[in-house]
Amino acid sequence: MKLRVIARLDVKPPNVVKPIHFEGLRKMGKPDEMALKYYSQGADEILYIDIVSSLYRRPILPEIILTTAKNLFIPFAAGGGVKTIEDFSLLLHNGVDKVVINTHALQEDPTIIERAARVFGSQAVVVHVEAKKWQDWWECYSDCGRIRSGKDVFKWVKTAENLGAGEILLSSVDRDGRKAGFDIELIKEVVSELTIPVIAASGAGSLDGIKEMVQIAKPDAVAVGSLLHYNMTTIDEIKVYLQKNGIKVAI
Amino acid sequence: MKSVVGLLDYGLSGNLTSVKKAFEECGALVNIIRNGSDLDPVDKIVLPGVGNFRDVMEHISPLKEALIKNIHIKPTLGICLGMQILCKLGFEGGETRGLGIIDAEVKRMEVKGKVPHLGWGTLEILKSSPILDGLTSLDNFYFMHSYEAVNYTEVIALTDYCDHKFVSVVQKGEIYGVQFHPEKSRKTGIKILENFLNQ
Repeated sequence: MKLRVIARLDVKPPNVVKPIHFEGLRKMGKPDEMALKYYSQGADEILYIDIVSSLYRRPILPEIILTTAKNLFIPFAAGGGVKTIEDFSLLLHNGVDKVVINTHALQEDPTIIERAARVFGSQAVVVHVEAKKWQDWWECYSDCGRIRSGKDVFKWVKTAENLGAGEILLSSVDRDGRKAGFDIELIKEVVSELTIPVIAASGAGSLDGIKEMVQIAKPDAVAVGSLLHYNMTTIDEIKVYLQKNGIKVAI
Repeated sequence: MKSVVGLLDYGLSGNLTSVKKAFEECGALVNIIRNGSDLDPVDKIVLPGVGNFRDVMEHISPLKEALIKNIHIKPTLGICLGMQILCKLGFEGGETRGLGIIDAEVKRMEVKGKVPHLGWGTLEILKSSPILDGLTSLDNFYFMHSYEAVNYTEVIALTDYCDHKFVSVVQKGEIYGVQFHPEKSRKTGIKILENFLNQ
């Protein structure tokens, strides 16, 4: 199976922002322009997360998502503030192929995963897990790494899988936006626990770091944000590097 | 003259916007099909992806008869779930009759690898078909599915996933089905849609 390289856009409408350790925000550009740029660079998918909708308790904004999807002919995953079957449907009717959900499923009602998978198919349901490392366990967070849940990451991903989630997007509260390397142990453990695909996010800090993580943890996809936004590399450069190192990618 | 493509609306599910956009990129006009009479003015029919076999068959049941009649006289393309509902029987959400056009059953994938199958795959082309004009076994197509059509008679191409070969392209006359998403497969996917429009 070819590793998918995904460009991740964290959006605080109307801008793509870069959360540093899920806290401070830096404006990076407009989501439609950045999505198109990464599509042109050879991204396998674009991932769009409205990082403030859950926090502000406001519904997701479909117009900006539709605009972002406009010129993309690759899969487009989006989420942020998704709560209901109608939210899933709204996104799927606005150019989204896979809907990302975290807060509502984790903190309020896990059955939304099951209900959405039944209506739209598992492949359309991506569960975002924001893991925070404590001394001897990993805890799931929500609302962009701000709110604790008390739930254990490994138990939660298994629950999500059993409810019909089609994919896990695995972020790390400790690593996100720091370009300081992946939490390889966490990713490896989650990948080996599950029979659904896992996207490793948070921590891509160098080409070599991505390669090492992929070789050890063997995720199905890697999501890259900061490295791309700061023009430290491009999608094609990442893919060529991985391919040279024996990792299969689609070029 | 521009082709008028009729794109079937599944209600809650279906990735209408993505498919519509991709056909418009190819220069086609796209009408959304909600009733049997919407089928009359269109030249070609497209059944999009994303949804559940049973729910979609229920949703389209009022126009099922008109749809089948039109599919037999107009070039038709089924994408992912759209290809699957062209088949006789599906097992997603319980045993459900499909449109019965392709002699196949749609079953959950059983492989050593991960399901859903998400990502790029290539085609092992068994028979030449106008839908694959200009494309080769090196081209990548994007797959997003947990179910597969089990068919032996109308197979155009197979795709290998974790040492399991499944049907990825079918053709019966001018009726085509693709398990992957051409609207999500960059230029090679757009080429599939152009080939279909040139039918």
